[in-house]
Amino acid sequence: MSNQLGDYLNRFQGSLQIDSAIKGSAAQELGTHLEDRKRELEESGLSEEEASKAAIKSFGPVQLVARQIYKVHSQGTWQDAFLAALPHLLVALLFATYYWQNILCTSAIVTVVTCTVIYGWFHNKPLWLFPWLGYYLLPVIVTGVLLIHLPQGWTWLAAVLYLPFALFVIAYIVKQAASRDWLYVSLMLAPLPVACAWLLALGRGGEFLVNVHSAQTDLNVPGIVASLLLLAVASFSFIRVRRRWCKAAILLVPLSMIFLATTLLSRGNIGLWGWLVLISSLLLVASPACLQIRS
Amino acid sequence: MSYERELLKGNTDCLLLSLVNDKPTYGYQIIKELERRSNGYFRFKEGTLYPALHRMEKDKLVEGKWQVLPNGQERRYYYITKKGQAVLSSKLTTWQDFSTAVRSVLHHEAA
Repeated sequence: MSNQLGDYLNRFQGSLQIDSAIKGSAAQELGTHLEDRKRELEESGLSEEEASKAAIKSFGPVQLVARQIYKVHSQGTWQDAFLAALPHLLVALLFATYYWQNILCTSAIVTVVTCTVIYGWFHNKPLWLFPWLGYYLLPVIVTGVLLIHLPQGWTWLAAVLYLPFALFVIAYIVKQAASRDWLYVSLMLAPLPVACAWLLALGRGGEFLVNVHSAQTDLNVPGIVASLLLLAVASFSFIRVRRRWCKAAILLVPLSMIFLATTLLSRGNIGLWGWLVLISSLLLVASPACLQIRS
Repeated sequence: MSYERELLKGNTDCLLLSLVNDKPTYGYQIIKELERRSNGYFRFKEGTLYPALHRMEKDKLVEGKWQVLPNGQERRYYYITKKGQAVLSSKLTTWQDFSTAVRSVLHHEAA
């Protein structure tokens, strides 16, 4: 294959953020077509360079082809969309039925999430897997934050032991999601700032996590359920829309709304560390989506 | 968008299904056959063919399969599915009814 055709196909693959197997197959298919056209043009008397240029020209702008292929493969089925919304709905159900403190119900949800993630991970990582992965990562992150509250001295020891493990798990899963499409990292981590915002808003005296009042949480159940339903609608819509900027906007709008609502509910209850955690989690989730909208 | 392009866009699926229905075929051959059968009337950017084929495959109208040729080259051949045949039949009926109606109106005006 000539350098020009190779370059065209590389740019095609670079512009296309879909499942790597589909991307590879599409690039190979386009490559075969370009080679056929080039061969035909060479037989008609053009030089290799002229034939490559003409073949590329007849194919059209690489960005346009990649965008159109993306639109075909980026849209999940209705079933994918429902499955993507399901983890948010399950957690919403846990709060709506006031069973969030029941260890059996919570364990059942954690088991369902873990089993679904393992199933999806080993079945070609379907589109619906990413919101489930977000809930799978939450316990890893929350455990890390809880270590702050260990007795003095132990925090450092636990941090030294736990942080590398947690960072490895998070980095590995984020890398896998980003290799599919970095916009899926936003979808995956969407529950993170929502969970942080609610935990901070319900914490006592700006303390994070440990002093969440169960009574106060029960009072705020409608708000928590509404946040989770908003996430469910966002995940459902994310899977169904085809355009990348629409996917990004669909994640940013509800996240901003939830962030605003919970910080207003906290009535200045969030301390410096709380704000730091909250803003970091929001930036982590929003940055891929923001970059997409800017591009 | 020009009238011609709009017409082509509206009938792309019908044209592609019709070609794939005749025999399993691959992208480059589809382009050549479209040009040949239409005496060069249908010419479009070749890259735009693949999104249409992939969309039709996702809708289960066609099925793409990689095949290794005797010379070792690999090509992705498209086969029409039963659903594709049903959709093609329905589109052809609609097109023939539409075409007959347009012709009747035009001939009536000419008379």
